[in-house]
Amino acid sequence: MLKINNLHNKVETQDGEEKAILKGLSLEVPAGEVHAIMGPNGSGKSTLSYVLTGRDGYDVTDGEMEFLGEELGELEPEERAAKGLYLSFQYPVEIPGVPTITFLKEALNAQRTARGEEEMPAPEFMKFIREQSKALGVSMDMLKRPVNVGFSGGEKKRMEILQALILQPKFLILDETDSGLDIDALKTVAEGVNTLRSEDRGMLVITHYQRLLDYIKPDVVHVMANGRIVKSGGPELAHELEAEGYDKFIGEAA
Amino acid sequence: MGAITHTPAERTLIDLLDGAEDWRAAARDAVVRFGLPTKRSEAWKWSDLRRASQGIETAGTAGFRINGEAVADRVTLDRDGELELVAEAGISVASIEIDVPAGARVALKERYSLAEGAFPTARLEITLGEGAQLERVVLCDTPESSIPVVRSRVVVAKQAHYRQATLTFGSKLTRHETHITHAGEGAEVELGGVYLLEEGRHADFTSTVTHTGPGGETHQLVKGAVAAHAQGVFQGKFKVEQAAQQTDAKMTHRALMLDDRAEIDAKPELEIYADDVQCAHGNALGAIDETALFYMRQRGLPEIKARALLIESFLAEPLDLISDETLREELASILRQRLGAIG
Repeated sequence: MLKINNLHNKVETQDGEEKAILKGLSLEVPAGEVHAIMGPNGSGKSTLSYVLTGRDGYDVTDGEMEFLGEELGELEPEERAAKGLYLSFQYPVEIPGVPTITFLKEALNAQRTARGEEEMPAPEFMKFIREQSKALGVSMDMLKRPVNVGFSGGEKKRMEILQALILQPKFLILDETDSGLDIDALKTVAEGVNTLRSEDRGMLVITHYQRLLDYIKPDVVHVMANGRIVKSGGPELAHELEAEGYDKFIGEAA
Repeated sequence: MGAITHTPAERTLIDLLDGAEDWRAAARDAVVRFGLPTKRSEAWKWSDLRRASQGIETAGTAGFRINGEAVADRVTLDRDGELELVAEAGISVASIEIDVPAGARVALKERYSLAEGAFPTARLEITLGEGAQLERVVLCDTPESSIPVVRSRVVVAKQAHYRQATLTFGSKLTRHETHITHAGEGAEVELGGVYLLEEGRHADFTSTVTHTGPGGETHQLVKGAVAAHAQGVFQGKFKVEQAAQQTDAKMTHRALMLDDRAEIDAKPELEIYADDVQCAHGNALGAIDETALFYMRQRGLPEIKARALLIESFLAEPLDLISDETLREELASILRQRLGAIG
């Protein structure tokens, strides 16, 4: 489903210099599987999520990334979104003045239009969002408030998952979804994610800690260091990392 | 100092006002002696009227209408109405004096119907009697080639409430001046302004609020968004006289540069002679939040749409002053339409 081959990128640092972040990353996530990427801070995990979703300043300098058989590199972020790529942000962005419900309706219909589908009629949309919100404990009152404004860390993460439930993407990238969550919020969020697991959907779970993977069980765990995948294995690899730390893998990458 | 050489626009204006009385005579005299204001004058340093008026040489006609009808120079307004400034091409002068009687509650919708190349200088004298309430909503949507210069003087008696919300899209040069004398003693002034300027356009909000009596409140919020090669100007001044103790006044100007080649000039000023007051001003210029833009695009919104939504949500706040929901939505919808075009 998602095939990444020998991916390289550079970003501009604050002093205007170019710095290589991804240095030949290769990875393949088939439909129906959940892969986790673990790695120390600065290994390039968040950069990978931005490169995949097409953020400005995160252009690919070498290598390929293919989603559902199509090269992503030349597509705008909104085109990638319409194809079904969804990023749950580590730090969800506040958008004052735009009610969440309006934002989601606009986003869903923009994606549908881009795919040549009909817009969802308003009553159907309201019914749909009401159902999905209930499961995540999100009130209508929250949905009327501007996107993420005044929400706690946990509420923001729940909103990220609610948005995924509404937009029904084909592939989810979860960037540090566990950061800032207490254990109850983590469970709620993980339950939401698990309802999205299906045979025709892939997921990439980026995390620093193994904790999240107790609730979202991955099929494959990759260790990322210095801009590359340095080791891949089963779920047991996450426990190994937790017990032994990243040091020995960073040694292997150097 | 020797006599200045008048531009064709100035000569036309001088001829137009020949033999005039009262304020028109004073205006003529000023143009004879100094010409139209240029950037060398402190109050006009970002809005060079003499330069903008180049190429306008003929005299035109202008006038105010209330509810679609021409009216006398001085009117009493005791019910809701529509005020329209109509101006043909060329240089023109218009004036109206509006009295809102004590205790009256009035909403006034104000529009400008200007022809291409219209350069009206308009003067409004508004007086609010004790306890009067006036909500003035101004829509300034005029051709790029027009030069509206509108100067309002507003006298607010004690216990009166003056509320003004202005939406402008600018032109070659647009100047909105509002000068308020605020009696305090329960009187309240709210000033809201929004400017959205496409390439090649200019808009200038200049205001002074002078608190003359104690315990007055003033809230001013002006927000703008300016595209490449366009210019927004905000000059706001609060003056608090010694007698105006316990004045509570707040001025905020915030604007978005939509491009590195946009220009925004701001001069917020406080001049305070009383010692027991709460006065504040804030002024912030910024660019569109690129992180928010990416977030919205990642959710599937096309860039133009995402940008328009972000700008709209930034700009809309001063329009919240408009209490008539239909009118507020009308202005918001005009704003939305213009945003769609700005990209």
